[in-house]
Amino acid sequence: MYRQKHLFLLPGLLVLVAIIIFPLLFTIRVSFSSWDVFQPGLDWIAGANYGRLLEDARYWGALGRLMIMAVGTVLIQYTLGFALALLVWGDLKARRFFRVLFLVPMMTTPVIMSVIWRTVFHESIGPLNGLLQALGLQGVPWLSEPALAFASVMMVEIWQWTPFMFLLLLAGLVSLPREPYLAARIDGAGPIRTFFAVTFPAMAGISIAAILIRLIEASKIMESVYVMTSGGPGTATETSTYYIYIRGLRDFQLGYASALSVTYLVIMIISLTIIAKVLVRLFVKDRT
Amino acid sequence: MADIHLESLAHSYDPAATSPEYALKPLDMTWRNGETYALLGPSGCGKSTMLNIISGLIQPSHGRVLFDGDDVTGRGTAARNIAQVFQVPVIYRSMTVRQNLAFPLVCRRRQRAEIDRRVGDVAELLGLQRVLNRPAVALTADQKQLVSLGRALVRDDVSALLLDEPLTVIDPQLKFELRRKLKEVNQAFNITMVLVTHDQNEALTFARSIIVMNHGEIVQQGDPQTLFDNPRTEHVGYFIGSPAMNFLPAAQSADALGVLDGQLQVPMTSAMRGSDDLKIAFRPEHVNLGGEGHRVDARVKRIWFEGLDQVLELDSGGTRFRARLDDWRGTVGDAIELRVMDSHLRVFRDGELLEAR
Repeated sequence: MYRQKHLFLLPGLLVLVAIIIFPLLFTIRVSFSSWDVFQPGLDWIAGANYGRLLEDARYWGALGRLMIMAVGTVLIQYTLGFALALLVWGDLKARRFFRVLFLVPMMTTPVIMSVIWRTVFHESIGPLNGLLQALGLQGVPWLSEPALAFASVMMVEIWQWTPFMFLLLLAGLVSLPREPYLAARIDGAGPIRTFFAVTFPAMAGISIAAILIRLIEASKIMESVYVMTSGGPGTATETSTYYIYIRGLRDFQLGYASALSVTYLVIMIISLTIIAKVLVRLFVKDRT
Repeated sequence: MADIHLESLAHSYDPAATSPEYALKPLDMTWRNGETYALLGPSGCGKSTMLNIISGLIQPSHGRVLFDGDDVTGRGTAARNIAQVFQVPVIYRSMTVRQNLAFPLVCRRRQRAEIDRRVGDVAELLGLQRVLNRPAVALTADQKQLVSLGRALVRDDVSALLLDEPLTVIDPQLKFELRRKLKEVNQAFNITMVLVTHDQNEALTFARSIIVMNHGEIVQQGDPQTLFDNPRTEHVGYFIGSPAMNFLPAAQSADALGVLDGQLQVPMTSAMRGSDDLKIAFRPEHVNLGGEGHRVDARVKRIWFEGLDQVLELDSGGTRFRARLDDWRGTVGDAIELRVMDSHLRVFRDGELLEAR
């Protein structure tokens, strides 16, 4: 009877195989084929796709931009979110108000939100340039100048996801015990010293969790790029996910796109693991 | 160093209410410099409120706090020269033990050399030298509490040390040790110490003066012996002493008050007349097997051991009471003859001690 105990794991295992392992293995298999719009099917071309991607400067450029964008937006989101959370922490009414207000950007559909922002940033009819001109300033080519377009996409990402940081960090702040703050007052610490001696160390765990969750999400930046700039001007705002989308679903080079995806996945797993380790080492001293 | 005077002090957490509920009812009292006090009482009796008012963490809704006649009611905690240790050990997580101990001095911008010297002294006093360079989070709970205490002692401007149930998290073995250290500190630095606790044993062994509180009021203040011998109310009698004092409802006759079928009797006085709630009370410790005093015959109902002593629950004519004996040998169900000295009997009228009997 007990020999069959592993059978009870089977239903769960089957679901796991169906939704995670099979697509993954299939993608890996496809990446070794030349499956494209002209010759669909699983032939075997060994590592040709991987050889090609090593020399694909556009792919590595997109990956670099993605890293800058992800790390940049998440750090700014964290700083802004933490500052806002600290600001309303002691004020019950403000807390309730901002909690509701800040849910709005998070609940907005990314595509619709990006459309709205594209309109805001529009060079000739957008309200942002209208405002600048009303103030007597020159209009700015928000989406057609490479550096500005990159900054605009980052701004939208920050706008949408700072509330997430805010809510998570506020929840953390609210649950902190009171005694360390009383002790800090008795020890004579001012607000800044109290922040660095009490609040920041106590928030280390939740900070790491929040930053990692956002990094994982941010490494998949897609909608805002697609709607606002379509990767342009040129490839100035093109990120990995968007480039893979172009290769796979616009050019229908499924074999090559699979190789790109698998490489992307491996790079992400390695870099996020390293980042997680570094963050823990930096913030949490008691686990060493 | 200062005497702390609480002048018509009272506190309500909601003073605007039409009939505010007081966490601390109006009181006047003085904490003498260099004295050791214990604030004793059940949870929610106002002990911690009183402490937080003295340290300035709470602004009292009524009255003033004076340090040597100097009104500090409106001053913040940092300006009061008070140190406080909490029930949960508080350490700065990102710092080493040394940095933790130095923190109050760093906040006060003291010279480097002075900080090093004082941290060294305090570490030696508390036995923390060997862990000085370790991260504070890696310590055990009682070591962390020593660090909390150390941060209070490292300052040379502290006139009173408030201890809010600091020994709750400590092992019983170490409690004794820590209490001894606190007494040493009290003698070495002449610091006023106020210990909040609901452990009477802790209070009785630590403090020269004990303050028993209940429902936001001070019920009785005195040295341990006074509280033990002459508890002012039934509440104090129950709270001080283990097992609690025996309170037996008394039967009244024309000229005497009696319990246990008249085996224990006290003469009736005018102060006792006119109340239905009269009790004769005595300590389990004051019940003897032989010698002088009123004779009481009883039967043993339960026995439990406390160190060398045995605590007996006894029954006499349907009334239960307790006795603490050190030289009795027997079993449950035995008949036993006891003596209670007349001088150890106390009479309580409406829950309060009748002083002159």
